[in-house]
Amino acid sequence: MKSLYLAFQVYLAFAKKSFQRRMQYRVANLAGLTTNFFFLLVHIFVYTAFYAARTTPQPLNLDEIITYFVLCQVSFMLMPFWGTRSEVTSAIKDGSVALQLTKPVDFQTYWFADECGRAFYYLLMRGLPTFLISILFFKVTIPHQPTVLMAFAVSMTFAIFMSNAITITIFSSGFWTLDTTGISGMSYSIITLFSGMLVPIALWPEGLAHVARWLPFEGLIDIPFSIYLGKITGVEVWIAIGKQMVWNLFFIGLGRFLLTRGFSRLVIQGG
Amino acid sequence: MIEVENLSKIFKVYHHRKGFFGSFVNLFSRKHHVVQAVDEVSFTVKRGEIVGYLGPNGAGKSTTIKMLTGILVPTSGSVTVNGYIPHRQRKENAKHIGVVFGQRSHLWFDLPVQESFELLQRIYRIPETRYRYNLEIFDELLNLGDFFQTPVRQLSLGQRMRADIAAALLHNPDVLFLDEPTIGLDVVAKARIRQFIQKINAERQVTVVLTTHDLDDVEKLCKRVILIDNARLCFDGELATLRRLLSTERLLSVDYAEVYSDISISNAHVIYREGARAQYRFSPEEISTADLIGAILQKFKIVDISVQEPDIEELIKTVYEDNSLIVPCGETK
Repeated sequence: MKSLYLAFQVYLAFAKKSFQRRMQYRVANLAGLTTNFFFLLVHIFVYTAFYAARTTPQPLNLDEIITYFVLCQVSFMLMPFWGTRSEVTSAIKDGSVALQLTKPVDFQTYWFADECGRAFYYLLMRGLPTFLISILFFKVTIPHQPTVLMAFAVSMTFAIFMSNAITITIFSSGFWTLDTTGISGMSYSIITLFSGMLVPIALWPEGLAHVARWLPFEGLIDIPFSIYLGKITGVEVWIAIGKQMVWNLFFIGLGRFLLTRGFSRLVIQGG
Repeated sequence: MIEVENLSKIFKVYHHRKGFFGSFVNLFSRKHHVVQAVDEVSFTVKRGEIVGYLGPNGAGKSTTIKMLTGILVPTSGSVTVNGYIPHRQRKENAKHIGVVFGQRSHLWFDLPVQESFELLQRIYRIPETRYRYNLEIFDELLNLGDFFQTPVRQLSLGQRMRADIAAALLHNPDVLFLDEPTIGLDVVAKARIRQFIQKINAERQVTVVLTTHDLDDVEKLCKRVILIDNARLCFDGELATLRRLLSTERLLSVDYAEVYSDISISNAHVIYREGARAQYRFSPEEISTADLIGAILQKFKIVDISVQEPDIEELIKTVYEDNSLIVPCGETK
């Protein structure tokens, strides 16, 4: 138990330093806020135009749609596919992963810790400012029940965990192919679409929405945001979070398997 | 401390077909050839030894080091470091070794040196008192204080190297692997790092395995050297033995004050001559450097004179080309 606590301390320290490291670039980061708002405005204008042309009621009303995309801008930087790429992701490619292996740390846990620090940094320095400014300019819905907010927080945490578990899995393929541009590019498109990043799954045609519900990626964006908007309620919330949990375990397990196999056949470039 | 037996590592290198069409074919069939990076290498290193592990580029030095540190899995053969099998017990092994790769830093690029060190303190669970004590000693020897608060990305190469070596020793490892620790450093920085390694080795009985291209490093630090070339071990023994085995010829370059018609000197061969500049080859066994210079000064007026030792690649080439010089591991002890 004590050694578990000590191990936790190590990875907590990693997360803290990861946060601290990024704090050095906070001015550059603020400039990134502009980009957030640019994309937010594009989404809002497009949907406002759509909704003006429609008379039939939609599963999400315009305010909910706007809130959905505000949340997108708040949270996408917290996830490694859309946010700036961490050093760990390129560690396999350029071989600096070797240096990490000379230390008595578990690589996957180290990676998670590093990303948690990163996510927390972007939450504070990008996510919250984006949210606060958005409240001033747009009609952003805020849930009144604390339970909804709590469920959202849990679901969002799982979403961030899963985004990292998936990233580790994708990049582990680098042990075999040495170049992950292809596979990461492909996954990027699939994930962007099926997470509900571009269009909320509630607005999708029946058939395709069905496919999305069977894929893990809705757990990244659509599930937490639907919980926030009160579109998923009661027992459904538990089922949705349960789904996220199962996919998390799946990707963590798969990533772990690939990493272990990968390290055993590691070719360090330029070795 | 380190036992290596019949260690081999084979890499598969895939061929890439050229062009647009070729890259499609690559997807389905990839030809490869096998590269033997390390071939049946055996040696043992005792506690407290400093061993120079030498060889030309691509000889298999780094591959061996990577197998000793548990990063690479050997194709065949056995390795134990401190009683651990590095690739199976990577994390256990890692607690007892320190590693420095001259070309890459272990420190966190964006963090001040101090922060990196504190992180290492956590990783290796170094007790506070020992951490403070080590820091004090390292600071004294390497002047870390000058740049302790500076982010690693702003350090000079020499400073970074000093920080990296100190970082690798914070947890009192039993074995220290140094892969080209003085690469790219100036003379002063090199000397400082060598002194530090010597001192730590003497005081803490740290076993040091050093790979380098710098013959000075070897001369200052290592009693024993292991040479490998083309993946195979070709010498294991004392540096002095190696030197004796090789009748090391040296080169003497002279700039004469004027152009002489006959510049021959007994026991030295003119191998190059252009205008007032000449180069001689001589063997120290036949004529000492001092005598040779004396003889030249007696006959001619000179502007400049310098003696060159053959570099390490040259030495290794001699050993490897002459198979009679190969000393199997163990026989020299």
